[in-house]
Formats: sequence, structure tokens, C-alpha cells
Amino acid sequence: MSVEFQNVVKRYGRATAVAGISFTVESGTLVTLLGPSGCGKTTTLRMIAGLELPSEGRIAIAGRDVTTLGATQRDVSMVFQSYALFPHMNVLENVCYGLRRSGQSRAAAAKHAREGLLQVGLKDYEERQPSELSGGQQQRVAVARALVLKPSVLLFDEPLSNLDARLRRQMREEIRELQQRLGLTVVYVTHDQQEAMAVSDRIIVMNAGRIEQQGSPRDLYERPTTPFMARFMGESNPVRGTVRRLDPEHVLVQLGDSGIIVADSTATEGEGTVAIRPEAIAVEAAPGPAGALAGTIAKASYLGTHMEYSINTAAGDLFATCPWVDRPFEVGNKVSLVLSSRGVIVVGR
Amino acid sequence: MISRAPVSWSTAWSAVGLIAAIALPWYALQEGLDSGAWISGLWSSEDYASGLAQIVEHGKWWLAPVLLALVVCLGAALMPATRQRRGTLLLIASTTGLLLFVAQALGISLHGWTAGWLTALFGELDTRQVGLGAGGAVVLVTLLSLLSIGLALRGNFGGDAFVAGAATTVAASIVLFTAWPILRILVQAFQDGDGLLAPALLVERLATEKIWSLRCLSGGGGRCGVAWNTLFLALGCGAGTTALGLAFALIVTRTSFGFKKTLRVLTVLPIVTPPFVIGLALILVFGRSGLVNQFLEWSMGIEPTRWIYGFQGVFLAQLLAFTPVAFLVLIGVVEGVSPTLEEASQTLRADRWATFATVSLPLMRPGLANAFLVGFIESIADFGNPIVLGGDYGVLSTEIYFAVVGAQLDYGRAASLALLLLIFALGAFFLQRHIVGTGSYATISGKGDSGLPTPLPDAARRAAIWVALPWAAFTLILYGFAFVGGFVKVWGRDYTPTLDHYAKAFAVERAADGLIWTGAAWNSFWTTLKLAAIAAPLTAALGLIAAWLLVRQRFAGRGTLEFATMLSFAVPGTVIGVAYVFAFNVPPIEITGTAMIIVLCFVFRNMPVGVRAGMAAMSQIDRSLDEASLTLRGRAPQTLVYVVLPLLRPAIVGALVYGFVRAVTTVSAVVFLVTAEYELATTYIILRVINGDYGLAIAYSCALIVLMLVVILLIQFAVGNRRLGRRAVALGGGRT
Repeated sequence: MSVEFQNVVKRYGRATAVAGISFTVESGTLVTLLGPSGCGKTTTLRMIAGLELPSEGRIAIAGRDVTTLGATQRDVSMVFQSYALFPHMNVLENVCYGLRRSGQSRAAAAKHAREGLLQVGLKDYEERQPSELSGGQQQRVAVARALVLKPSVLLFDEPLSNLDARLRRQMREEIRELQQRLGLTVVYVTHDQQEAMAVSDRIIVMNAGRIEQQGSPRDLYERPTTPFMARFMGESNPVRGTVRRLDPEHVLVQLGDSGIIVADSTATEGEGTVAIRPEAIAVEAAPGPAGALAGTIAKASYLGTHMEYSINTAAGDLFATCPWVDRPFEVGNKVSLVLSSRGVIVVGR
Repeated sequence: MISRAPVSWSTAWSAVGLIAAIALPWYALQEGLDSGAWISGLWSSEDYASGLAQIVEHGKWWLAPVLLALVVCLGAALMPATRQRRGTLLLIASTTGLLLFVAQALGISLHGWTAGWLTALFGELDTRQVGLGAGGAVVLVTLLSLLSIGLALRGNFGGDAFVAGAATTVAASIVLFTAWPILRILVQAFQDGDGLLAPALLVERLATEKIWSLRCLSGGGGRCGVAWNTLFLALGCGAGTTALGLAFALIVTRTSFGFKKTLRVLTVLPIVTPPFVIGLALILVFGRSGLVNQFLEWSMGIEPTRWIYGFQGVFLAQLLAFTPVAFLVLIGVVEGVSPTLEEASQTLRADRWATFATVSLPLMRPGLANAFLVGFIESIADFGNPIVLGGDYGVLSTEIYFAVVGAQLDYGRAASLALLLLIFALGAFFLQRHIVGTGSYATISGKGDSGLPTPLPDAARRAAIWVALPWAAFTLILYGFAFVGGFVKVWGRDYTPTLDHYAKAFAVERAADGLIWTGAAWNSFWTTLKLAAIAAPLTAALGLIAAWLLVRQRFAGRGTLEFATMLSFAVPGTVIGVAYVFAFNVPPIEITGTAMIIVLCFVFRNMPVGVRAGMAAMSQIDRSLDEASLTLRGRAPQTLVYVVLPLLRPAIVGALVYGFVRAVTTVSAVVFLVTAEYELATTYIILRVINGDYGLAIAYSCALIVLMLVVILLIQFAVGNRRLGRRAVALGGGRT
């Protein structure tokens, strides 16, 4: 177990940033802390780093209790959102910094730093100043600088937020590849749900200082347990419906005139909130098959790869995406909606 | 390994404290430590005895619990325990030790118990206690260090003993050398001549006509009280310097005026000039035998008058002397107004004048209030100009001086007046904070701001130029006359060029056994140079450490510490000077008449500015740089040395220069502290001016200016510039 949080609370004066969370991070995995801004994910990361000390609770890293230890005394290192490269040192000096502070000789530090730069593909940039590098290169130097210390845990604080979209995809693939190649334990903070799904073994979603849900990317997307989760992990339409249990594994969800059978072993009977994924709504010309939901197109936008529709129905306004762009519906068209059971999720009462 | 570091530190500190308690004299020695005479009497002589010997041999039983606390600390450091337990034990033991230390130091003095109820409680004491010496001081430092280590072990200050130690050091030194002396003034103001409390006396001292009379307003040649005099002068000076400073700042930043460099140089001059030089120059031009009077007498036969002496003279001198300070404050403010906001205003149909009036000026308001505060406080703290030019127009700072130094020798009165001065200063300070409010319009962000500053509207530009340029010319002319004044025989009577004044001040003769420094000024010159050179690095170090703590560390009491440093910025030098006299001429800290008290006064007088400069510089360096260093195994001191300080070089230069220059030029605080042995340049010059010996005074002042310029260049050269790569780099960066 590389990182262990037990009932950790962090308060600033009266405000509570983290309200009692517990989780563990297994060695060799990449775990993402995901959540909207202000949810406490960065505070949590900084508590792992030792840059903040918890108000209550216990933190262990690699089996050692580090609750009251500062950053220097913990076996972690961190890649900052702003990269935090020392502007008065060149690339090699930056990467050597941590090695020198750990007591390595100048020669040994330089040797290890060069290996680190090789890992991130910046072999020939030793003498450059940070200001002479591009954003992606600065990012790599920051990663190399943290990597060469061989920490028990490597922390990333929104590492891609200062890069443009194309570079972001490339860098996140590089980080994932590096993590798997070297078997690193990584805790990664982001507010971007797609980025989290792309890099993580496991995701911990935080909301208002608490853990909302944790699990594999597939778990969280396909089986969100709360309306917040359904909204936050991908898009979804929250609607009210009636749930009736058919057998231990299946329920019938009644939305207006339309009923659909959904695989679910936990939902309770009665009225409840149901989340419908926009890609699970097949839009067809009315009249559609029996049991389909009738509606009227309120908005239609063409996005190249797919169409986006806003549709008025008896169950409420629904947002749907549709891959057929050749003959789109127009505003005012009567349509019939067929729901796929994989994208209909009972998320609570 | 690393986590053990604070543990072994606690052992080391406990040992140091115990060794000091056994092997160093506990009390202060008459002749100083370096004589070595104390070594033989370390056990037997009551004067020289160590802490342990004082307890065992000389009946100072009250020191025993303090030393016992140290032994407990050593035990806590050595026994096996968790961090938390060890920290708690150290904390309890060191806090108890500190409290007992302070209690005995304050409770027992030269004449036994210091208060009646203590005598009643414990009985008469037949022994006495003099000022703290090396042993006592080391034990005090040890207890403070152990307290910090205890706090760090318990997880305060991010678990870092260095940070904890730095915070404790700064807090303790501010308490000891700023808060305590000021508290002493309060006490002194309520005491009668025999040290008994008499609250009615304060009212009696302050409620006199000499202080509060308003007769000058009713006309007929009546005089106002010194309190009103001080207040009128300060309000005028604050408003005047702010207006002039703003005019200069606007010209430099918002017009295409061609001589901006010259204006900048003009602002450096008053900073390296002793504050009364301007007053002296005014006397040379407008005084009784000054140029203007002589010309009027020669051309029109008008009798020379003494009209420059009084309110108008002091006011003029202060405006001239402090406008550059206001300019320096305001130029940052004007530059800080984001051009983007002004451009936004213009795209919203506001013309240049409306933009200036409704966007730029309101954004500058906190800065203007700040400049006013600085002018106000500089004015009430000013001692040099009122004493040179005031004539009958007395102000509080001169009144205090005469109460302490003059024939009156009335410490109670001095303390009461100092209290009044302090109230004025703090009143202005709180009023300014109230006006500015807590929400500042900080417009300097880490984000790039690509807009261009909007040029001033024509009317405003013309007004600024017509105010500022004649004023700049006037200042230059005065400096010119002051300079020339050092090279003529007797100003007003005999304008023969001469080097006599320089020779008199700085003569060096060659004798058989080397050089003899026969000039009258050498003694005070070398003392000034030596003490300023000691004080400057201390000032810079303490100021930057405090700034680092305030900007970079989060800990309980941070807000209080910040407030305390800002507050001490508002305390006038005269008050500090008087306070030091009161606080440090009796045990437990007895250092009146030494060089140490002057150095301490320099350091704590000038530290707040170092703190401010350091904070400003540090908040421009992204915090994540420090945090990166911490997560890269750099402990706090290493982070400070390898990351923060290299990026702070300009601020270090600034703090060193300021610490040195202010130490050389200050008058108000040190007039009370100098002795025949430790005479300072400024006080020496003031005495020459009061005696009418202008030539020598000017010659000496010019020499001081040259000295300071040389030192500034040396510091610049020694500390150097920061290296940030070939391309300009933004030190900013953000964290959500």
C-alpha cells in the first residue's frame, strides 16, 4: 500500500476543505483525484506531498506514518501545475536539485539527472534555461526532476492544464506510458473527466470535500451511484421515473409511456431519479416502434462527427447525440426516442 | 534519518544552554566579556558567577527552576519517545522555563523585588539582580530554540524546526526590542519621579496650554500648542508630498517627457542625504544672512528678516525632503494600474479624462492613502528640520528632545509627549487602514498584461508638468547651494573659496608612528561607518526572514506578526529613541550607553521597510517554486538559500542599501542614544548646525553622501544581479 488516508480532515479557520476522507493507493497504480474546482482534490494532493498538514486523521506513505512530517521528510515528489522550474538554473541544474539535496555528489547527481532526461526524451537540452523551452518541454523537465528521486509516490497537480489541446493528449499518453514502463505509483489531480478516464487505473471523485465515489473508469461511467456522479462523469439527462423490481438482477424503469428493462441489483422501488446518457437515445422519425418515447425537436446543431438535439418529451427535456449526420431532423420535427438499456441508470430517489 | 534531525538538534540546544549556565557569567559585566577577567571568578565572585554558581553560592534561588527546565528538556531530548510525545514534553518544559525566566527577570531588579506585593508575598530580598549577561542571554535563546523544536515536532509550522525557529526568533525580537520599549513608555507616562503609579499625573502633564492652545488661529500673534503644531505640519506635509509625488509619478509613467532619468536621480538624492541638509540649504538661501535677504537688502534696502524660521520653513523643508519618498510609493501604484482596465474603459465610450477620473484615480486611491500616511508619519517623526528651522515653532519631537536632554530632565513629561506622538502616528495608521479597507485593488497579477498605458489627458498633463518641473528645479538649486556652501569661508559675509571646512573635518597628519586622524569629524565618522555596517546586514537578514515567513509560511499567529511589523513601521523614530532610553537603562536588559543599543535601534527601526520590500519581491515569485524545492528534498533553510535568495537579489540589495543608508542618515531615534564615546555623524552635524557652524556641517554632509554612494555601488557589486536566462521570464504562475 503506497498511500493510506484515514479519516483525514483539513480545515482553514472555519472553512472545511476536506471533510473526513479515507482511501488507499496501491503500489504501481495511477490513481486520479477528480472533481470540480473547490472540491478539495488539490488540498488532498498537497496533504500527500506534506505541503499541508491535516487537521485530523492519519496519513501513511509506504507503511510509515507521516501525518506530522513536512514535505522534505516524506518520500514523495511532485510535478506542479506551473511546472515550478527554477528560473535561475538550467535544465540539468533543475533536475540535479533534488539529488544534490538528498546528499548525492555532484558527479552522481549529474549522471542520474542525465538518465532522467533521457527517460523523458530531453537528452540534448541540459544547458538550456527553462525560459528557452516550450511548454511541453518544460513539463518533461518537471517530470524528470521529480522522477529521478525514485519516490514512493509521484504526484501530479493538473499537469496538463497549461498546454494546448493537441499537446495535452500527447503528454497524457506519455505520462501513462512512463508510469507503466517504470511501474510508478502516481497520484494525479485533474478536473477533466476525459483526461482522468484516459490515464487512470482508478479514479476517486471528490465533491465538496468528500469522496463521492471511487472505482475504475468503467465502473464510474457505467454505474454512477449518485445524480452528481451521473452528471459529472460524462453527460447525462436527469429525469424522474418509476422503478419496479422484476427479479434480483433487473428493474423496469417507467418514463412517461415508455418502459425499459435495466440491469440493476440495488435500486429501490418507487419514484426515483434516472440518468439517461445522450448517446443512449436513438432518435427516429415518428411514429417509431411501440414503447418508444414521443418528442419534438427543440434545437438541432451539426458538430461534424455527430448531431446534437434538444428534445421536448413527456419525461422532460432530453439532450441526445446522434451519429447520423446525413439527413438531420429539423426544429419542430416529431420524433420517437428509443432508449438503450446500457445508458439508463437509476441513480437515487 | 531526516526525521531524526530535529531530535538531535534538541539535544544539542539543551546541552548548549546547560554549558552556558555553567561556564558563562550569568549577569552583564562592567568591562565586557573580552577582558577575560571573569574566568577566574566564575564560581566565587558574585559579579562573574555562572548561573549554577549564582544559585549554589550566591543565594539566587530563583534561577534554579529555569535551569531545571533545561535539564528536563535534555531528558526529553534523550529519552526514546514518539515525535509527538517528545515535542509535547519539550514544549511544556521550555515554555515553563521561559515563563519563569521572564518572571524572575521582571520581578527582581537592582533593589530586590520590583513590586510591593511581591515583597509581601516572598519577604524582603537581600540580594539584587543586575542586567542579563552572556550566560543568561544564551539560556534565553536556548529556551526559545527548544520551544520552536517542540512546536515543530508536534507538527506546527509544517513540521519544520527551521521555520519554527525563524518565526520564534522574529517574534521574540519584535517583542523584546519594539513592543517592550513602547510598553515602557506607557508605564513611564503614568509614573511620577519616584516610579510610583500616578494616573492623574498623565492628565496633568498632557492637559497643558503649551500642548493644546489654539491661540494661533485667533490671530494677534498668539501661539498654538505643540500638539496642534505637529498635527498641522503633518497634515500639510502628507497632502503636499502626495500631490507633488503624484505629479512626478504621472509625468514619469504617463507622458513622453524627455528627462525621466533625471527625475529618477532626483529621487535618490534625498534618500542618501541626512534629513536636515535641505533645512540647512534653506537657511543658506532664505535665512537671515541668506542670499534672498542679502539681495533684498542690497537692491531695496529691506531689513533682513528671520521669516524662514517657523512653520513655513519646516513645512518647505519637509515637502522638499519627503516628496521623493511619496514619489517612490506612488510610481509603483501608478504603474500597477492595469492598462487593460483603462483600455476597457475607453472601449466603453469613456474619453481619456473620464477614464482617468473614474477608473485610474479610484484604482490609485489605496496608494494615495498610503503615500499620505508615509508623508504624515515622516513629518511627525522628523527631528532634524524642526530643530534647525523651527525657531519658536515647537513640535512634539523637539519638545521630547528638550524634555530628555535639556535642563528639564523630565522623563515623565517626555514619555507623555512620546505617547501623544505615538497616538497621532497610530491614529493615522488605523485611519488609513480604515479608508483603504481590507479589500485592496491589487491590479498586479501573474498574468501578462499586454495593454499600453493610456496617456494623461492634456489638462492633467499640463498641470502635472507645471507643478513638478519648477519644484524639481527648486530642489536642485537648493542642493547646489548646499554643495557650494561647503567651499566658501563664511556664508553671507565672506564668499572666498576655501577647503578649510573639509580640512577641519577630515584632516590627516603624518607622524613618526603612522597617520594621525586629526580632523574633528573622524571619530563620529568611523563610529557611524562601523555601526551602520554592523546594522545593515542584520536589518536585511531579519527583514527578509520575516518577509519570507509572512509571505511563504502559514502558521498560527501569522496575522498578528504581520500586523506587528506594519505597526512598528508607523512608530516615529523619536518615540523609539525615548523608549529605548527608558527600557534599556535598567535590568533585565541594561545596555544604555553602549554601541549595542544604537545597533539594535538601527535594526528594529529600519526592519519594517526591509520586511515590506521583501514581501513585495517575494509575492512576485510563484509559491510553487518553494514547494517544488520542498518536495525535492530541499529542507526549508536549503530552499531559502538555493531558491528564494538567488531570486531575491534585487530585494537583498535594496534591504542592505536601505539598512545602511538609514543607519547613517537617521537622527530622530539616535539623538537620545549617542554618548561621547559613540557619537554619530548626524548628531555631530546637528550640533554644529545649532552652533551656526554651517561650513563644517555642509562639508561633513557632502562627505557622508559620497560615502553612501560608494557603499551602494559596493553592495550592488557584491550581491550582483539574478541570472534568469537570456529571454525575459515571467516569475508568475498560477495554482487553482
